[in-house]
Parts: sequence; structure tokens; C-alpha cells
Amino acid sequence: MKASKFKVSLLLFPQLLISIFLMTGVIYGLIQGLGYIPALSMTDWTLDYYIQSIQDPNTLRSILFSLWIAFASSVLSVLIGLFICYLFINQKHYPKWVQALIQIPIIVPHIIVALFVIQILSQTGILARLLYVIGFENAQQIVSGWLFDPQGKGVILAYLWKEIPFIVFFCFSLIRQINGSLGEAAQTLGANRLQAYVHVTLPLCRQTILTSFFIIFMFTFGAYELPAILGPTLPQSIAEATYIAYTHPDLKQRPFAMAMNGWIFIISLGMALLFAFFIYRKKPSHKQGGQDG
Amino acid sequence: MTIKKNILMEVTMKIKKLLSYLSLVFVAVLVLVGCGQSSGGGETASSTDSGSSDSSSQEVNEESQDENVADLSFDELVEAADGSTVSFYGWGGDEALNQWLDNVYAPALKEKYNITLDRVPMDIEDVLNQLSNEKQAGETEGPIDMIWINGENFATARDNDFLYGPFTEQLPNFQDYVDEEDPEIKYDFGYPIEGYEAPYGKAQFVLIGDKEKMDQAPANAQEFLEYAQANPGQVTYPALPDFTGSAFVRNIIYEFVDPAEFQDMEADKEVVREAIAPAFDYLRDLNPHLWNEGQTFPQDQPQLNNMFMDGELALTMTYGAFDAAIGIENGEYPESAQTFIFDNGTIGNTNFIGIANNSTNKAGAMVAINEMLSPEMQLSKYEELRTIPVLDNDALDEDQQAAFDAVDPGPGTLPQDLLLENRLPEMPAHLVPIIEELWLEEVVGQTNE
Repeated sequence: MKASKFKVSLLLFPQLLISIFLMTGVIYGLIQGLGYIPALSMTDWTLDYYIQSIQDPNTLRSILFSLWIAFASSVLSVLIGLFICYLFINQKHYPKWVQALIQIPIIVPHIIVALFVIQILSQTGILARLLYVIGFENAQQIVSGWLFDPQGKGVILAYLWKEIPFIVFFCFSLIRQINGSLGEAAQTLGANRLQAYVHVTLPLCRQTILTSFFIIFMFTFGAYELPAILGPTLPQSIAEATYIAYTHPDLKQRPFAMAMNGWIFIISLGMALLFAFFIYRKKPSHKQGGQDG
Repeated sequence: MTIKKNILMEVTMKIKKLLSYLSLVFVAVLVLVGCGQSSGGGETASSTDSGSSDSSSQEVNEESQDENVADLSFDELVEAADGSTVSFYGWGGDEALNQWLDNVYAPALKEKYNITLDRVPMDIEDVLNQLSNEKQAGETEGPIDMIWINGENFATARDNDFLYGPFTEQLPNFQDYVDEEDPEIKYDFGYPIEGYEAPYGKAQFVLIGDKEKMDQAPANAQEFLEYAQANPGQVTYPALPDFTGSAFVRNIIYEFVDPAEFQDMEADKEVVREAIAPAFDYLRDLNPHLWNEGQTFPQDQPQLNNMFMDGELALTMTYGAFDAAIGIENGEYPESAQTFIFDNGTIGNTNFIGIANNSTNKAGAMVAINEMLSPEMQLSKYEELRTIPVLDNDALDEDQQAAFDAVDPGPGTLPQDLLLENRLPEMPAHLVPIIEELWLEEVVGQTNE
């Protein structure tokens, strides 16, 4: 047992090394956010930058906008992803073309997704041209408002294309396995297919589903490229706002950017604790255990 | 039941693993931070103790080396640079310029001075960050030699002592061919240059319209607004802080406020807000007629340019005064693309090359910069890249003048003398970020209704 523990630590070592670099950067950032940058002869520790940056209405708007995009894209991805799983649970493998449809989006980088979303949805894009060809005179008006809109529709759409396959990929095998055993048991006891799926299979896969939800949520919350390319000029996502603050030509403004980074970190940490509470709390499984028994 | 137990066990195992892993990370970080602190403490201790001789002697060395470079004649610089490598850090987004540097400039340096050019494409923000980090780490031998820089970034670099200088007095080509009394050579966005950077190229903000959609180019802000009203959704500009979008807004400001007013303006948000109020009023009037009704703006100049090339917009804008010709020749722009400027003129600026303070090859950098200022290089740059040269025309001999005059900027452009006659000065560097901030607060998505 002890030897295996040692082995596990060894196996974790590369990851650990990366984490150390990562954490060092984060800690440096947090410290700079407190106004401590000796190279620029700033040596007074202060919370002012954290306080001022969060009081700025634009920062608040950015945080809310990022939370909205993260929430909308992860909830929709999970719902649609689970529905797709439902369509294919009774087959041993999903068909080849579905497999391709799922694998391709996962390997395509976000920046490429952004480019083709622009190609398709912009006012001179493929969709507008198609609509025009089949007789819509106002094709440009129809597609206008899908990109660069203050609700972030284009951004969310692009995330859906990337993340729905991720949900399917992440959850499908477990779902199919559980559905094949306990889900079928429920069906023999009189539940229909959908009932068995929703009331038996999904609750049992709760942890995996919540985990994938969490991964998508955290990623989209802190992501930069899609909101920057497909999003509106205002509100900016919090990552965009932070980057712009970071590129301010006056280096004395650096602590503001770092304080905004600090807020991203703090919010993410809070979210992580919240999700950990949901994912790992024991109560519901006991309850269900009781029902089963 | 068994499955559930398994899952439960698996989860507890996972939590345990996670916890042990997290604690590992935590301990590691603690150790690391501890190390950093103790080594930092050690450093200060040694420098206050007798151990100070080490670091101070190094400093003296560094200084005397700088003094040496400053004392050398140009021939001695050439000798010191022989066989060395010079790095050139700067924005790498202009592919034509990159190719020119690799295929014309670098071979010339190699042949004439046996200097190898190492071109490193890097955004100026990142260059400044790296210099600031190196300074923080006390690094006296950095990898950065030459830096492509201007404007507020030059101001930042000078304020933080990132640049080496003054060095331009030592360059023969600077003395022979550059007009030192030209305000554009004395001040960079209002910041005194004092020999800390040498001119590299001249840029001038221009608008490029598609004649098919714009029979008469707008001659001022009012006509621009009228065009937008008559052709809703056909024009827009890149969202600030994009370099070009920011220049467009400053040009609009100059349509309403005399450029001279800004030269001594205090870099205070409220002062600037009041001074530019009429221009922002205008921009809010313009908003409803812009692309996407001014709710959103293209993220940057390349995106605006793409939309112009796609025919989605009737207008694009650029700091490259002769870009229209390149666009037409490449087939990216319609044949009907035509450059225009406002009657009051448009903003022009010069961009520069500086030398990092912790550069290890200052002699090589100075020789390379001198070569960049040679009539041959400036002519080649003008011919191939259509960059406005930085040399003083009167200082050139007749043959050289004729060679420069013979260059045809190409279709769709305005002649160089017309541009230079209608050239407005840049605003002081410290006002630019304030204007960019105010634009986000007071213009995007807003109207005067």
C-alpha cells in the first residue's frame, strides 16, 4: 500500500511541477495586485487596487457578463449533451458519423471555431448568402444581431458547438453502462424509457455530469478568445477587461490588472468550493440508497 | 447496491487523492515561497554586509561598459560589432515588413558589418513586460537589443529607465541625413526624445473608401456624418484601444479642437473629458448610422479591413499611407479603392528604434540602426513597403533625390507631398490612454437622445 502511494506521488510529479510554476505565477500576480512591484519602485502594500477595481462599474458588468456566458453555455451544453446521450444509449456504439461529429469539435481549437462562426454567421457570411439565394431579400437583417451582440449569443453558440460533444464524450460511457443495468431494471419495473433515463440513470451519474458542468463553467468563465472575437465591444468579458488593463502603456497601472486577475481567481476559487460542496456532499446518495433499499 | 458502493468508495478515494495532492502542492508552494524569501533576504543581507563589493563592482563594470560604448567612434563601434548577433524585437504582424527585414536588411548587415540579425516578433506590451521583469530580477544582460517602439510605449520605457541612450549623435547617417530640428524627430507623441531612439519609418493615418459606394470622399467630419446617415451600416472604426481606431478618434477630436490645445494639457481625466466633449458628442451622433448601429465595433484594424475586403463595409482605415496600392495590387481591395484624408489633415507619426538598457550588444545595435538610416535602406523600404522615408530630402544628393522621387506609390494612393503637407501632430502620449478609457465609457452603444 505504501509503495503504491509512493508510486502515485511519483506519477503526479510532472503535474506537480507544472502546478508549481502555475501557482508561482498566480501568487506573483496576487502580490502585484497588492501594489508591490519593486522594479517600478512600488513598495507599499495596499488593498486599494482590489477595492477600486471591483467598485468600477465596468468591472462588475464584465464579471456579470462572463458569469452569464459561462452559465448559459454550460447549462445548455449539459442539457443538449444529455439529450444526445439519450438518443444513443441503447446502441452499443454510436454510429461512425456521430462519432466523427463528436470528435471533431473536441480537437478543434476555440480560435478556429471563432473564425468559422464568423464565416457562417456574419452579415456577409455563408448563412446570409444562402438565405439570400433562396429568396430572403432581407437576409442580412436576419443574421444581424447573432454576432457581436450584448447578450453574447454568438459566443454562447460557439461554445455550444465545442462543449456539447465534450459532455457526450465525458458522460456517455458511464451513462450507457448505468442505463444498461439499473435503468433497465427500472424499465422492467414499469418505468418507460424516458422515465428510467431521467429518474434513475441521470441521478446516478450526477457526479460525472456535475463535474463536466463544472469544467465547462470554469473554462468559459475565464476564457478570452471567443468573447474577444465574437462578443460585443461592451460589455467585455472579465478576461478581456483584464487583458486590456494589463496592456495599459503606463506600467504603474499594472496593479489594477493584477487585482482584476485576483478577482477572477477569487471568484473561481469560490465557485470551485461551491461545486465541490455539490459534487461531493454525501446526503443525496444516502437518501437514494434508502429508497433503493 | 454494489455498484453504488463502488461509486461511493471511488469518490472517497478520489477525495483522498485530491486532498493529498492539494496538500502536496501547498507544501511545494510554501517551500518555493520560503526559498524565494530566504534568498531575497540573503541578497539584501549580503549587500548591506561586506558582500556588497560583488554586486557594486558588477554595476561599475556595467556602467563603464556603457561609457565605453558612448565614447567609441563609429569605426570603433563597427569593429566591436564585427561577428556579433543583434536581436530586433518588435511587432511581427506585418508580413511584408518581416520579409523585407529578413531578405534585404539582414543580408546587408551581414555583408557590410558581419552582423547577424535575429528578428524576434513580439508585441510591444510584451517587450515592456519582459524588460520590467528583467529589471525586477536585476538582470543586467538581457536578450533584447533593438526595439521597435514609439508613442506612449516610449514614454513608459523612458519613465522606467528601460532604454539606453543618448546614442543617435554617434550615428553618421543620423547626423548626415536626418533633420534634427524637425519636431517629429525631437518629440515622440510630445515626449522629448533626447537621443534615446532613432527614426525608423513615417506613418500617416489615412481613410480608404470604395469609390463604387462613395462617389465623393467626405472632406471633413460633417460630410462623414452625412455619408453615414445616407448609407447606414456602411462605415465604422475599430474599437479602442486598437491603435488605428484610437487614431481615428483623435482625428475626429482634431476636427473640433485645435491640436495645439493638447500639447500642454494636463493628463487628468476630467480636463480631457471637457476638452474633447464636442468630439464625443459628434461620435454619439454618428453611432446610430454605423455598422451594427454603433452597438459594437470591429475588434481591431485587421477585422475592419477584412470586412472592407468582403464588401461588408465601404470604408477602411490605416496608418500605412500607401496601403491602398498594396491592397489593390494583391487583389485584396477592389480596383475602386481610393485613399482620402480630411481637408484639415490627418495625424502622422514617426516610429523609432531604441536600444534596451540591459542590451549586451549596444555597439551592434547602434551599427544596425545606422544602417537602417542609410539612403539605400530607406529607399528600398519606400520602394518595397511604401513606407514614408524618415530622411531629410534636402540632405540627399541629386541622384538620391531622383531615386526617391521615381518611386510610384501605386494605384489608389495620395502623393507623398500632399500627405506631408496635411500632417497633424500626435497628441501627448499620456493623453491617449485617457481618451481610450473615456471612449469606452461615453461612446460605445450610446446616442445623444
